[in-house]
Amino acid sequence: MADVILMEKRGIPSAAICTDALKASADAMARIQGAPGYTFAVVPHPVSSLDADGIAEHARLAAPQVMAILRGEVS
Amino acid sequence: MTEQQTGLTPEDLIAAIEECHANGWTDGLPVVPPIPSLVHRFLEHTDRSPSEVIWTMTQVKRGCTVQAAAINAAMAGCLPEHFAVVLAALEAAVDEGWPGLGGWQSTTGGGPLLIVNGPVRTELGFNSKGNVFGPGFRANATVGRAMRLIIMNAYGIRPHELDQATQGFPGKFSLCIAENEEESPWEPLSVTLGHDVGVSTVSALHTRSTEHVDNRNTGDPKAVLNDIADTCGRIGSMTRRFRRVGVVIGPEHAQLLAKQGMSKQDVREYLAEHSGRPAGTLRAAGRGESTAVFQNHPVAAAFDEKQASDIEQIPDDDLVTTLRTPDDVVVVVAGAANAGISTVVQTLGFPTKTIGTAVVRR
Repeated sequence: MADVILMEKRGIPSAAICTDALKASADAMARIQGAPGYTFAVVPHPVSSLDADGIAEHARLAAPQVMAILRGEVS
Repeated sequence: MTEQQTGLTPEDLIAAIEECHANGWTDGLPVVPPIPSLVHRFLEHTDRSPSEVIWTMTQVKRGCTVQAAAINAAMAGCLPEHFAVVLAALEAAVDEGWPGLGGWQSTTGGGPLLIVNGPVRTELGFNSKGNVFGPGFRANATVGRAMRLIIMNAYGIRPHELDQATQGFPGKFSLCIAENEEESPWEPLSVTLGHDVGVSTVSALHTRSTEHVDNRNTGDPKAVLNDIADTCGRIGSMTRRFRRVGVVIGPEHAQLLAKQGMSKQDVREYLAEHSGRPAGTLRAAGRGESTAVFQNHPVAAAFDEKQASDIEQIPDDDLVTTLRTPDDVVVVVAGAANAGISTVVQTLGFPTKTIGTAVVRR
């Protein structure tokens, strides 16, 4: 989360993907980095134990969110 | 001071303790209210400026000043004399590298095991003998607790916020031992790490669990080490293949090993060679990726992606070791010489360059 916000501050359009289980920590880090309420893509937990099909399904969920963030369609 | 002199009542003390809870300054247990006169007594035990920043955690944009460390040491119940050890403890934890790499914030849920060496142990009452990991000794209990309060209050690493620990472990309240140098057959950890004999130090090892090895069944040193190696190589404490372990050897085991001619380095080499699991056992536990060949050769000249992704190449019966080098075995002698008991300290995988260490400056 910190890395993405720091890149945004350098003018590089960026998007973070986070699982729902880690949303609270991501929100806390966004506040610390001076970007409270920063929008990031959220996918269901977990990720690390998924097989290839599971990862593909997560990617399908994340992709439109990431595109909306990169296009500036969300705050 | 009497109540008459201050105009305060016992109820005011309770109110002050409750105010610390309300301010979110505690680990869940009551703290000593850090009134300025008490904090001042801590600051008298260092020649460092109260405003000096000991270390800044850039990812959370927060640092810990000498004064903030003193406040947390006072709240933890330390004596002012303990403060130099608290400062060294923070420096040692930082020296290991994990705080800057997010180790304190990780789902893996560990925290620093502090190991005290040198004359400061006896001078300030650190326990190195019976119940060394347990309660009953103010210096151990409060210095370890001060470290945790600094992490929570100075750096803001609190559960359900920036501390993402899935379960954590009891050592996150306080985890500070001293080495039993008097009953150890080997040189102290501090000397192994390059400090001079007689220098007081704190060393820090990022720890996820402590696991006992109770073996009072044999006088064979290799049998004892095989038992310890079994715990060093336990699958569940694996993140990636390689890890660092602490081995807190009880004096009875240490003396048994030394009497058979084993040096500390011999112990480290034996454990590095024998800790692990057969490849088939790892595969059966869903850890087949730890058998990938490239991980056997981390400094190979050329990276062969095909080979690196082949997790079927190692035969099922071959041992896959979990300690890359003897340097990844941190040996400490502690506890009472009353039973054959040692402890394996499991850390976070992919070890940082070294265990952290710092001199106690008094």
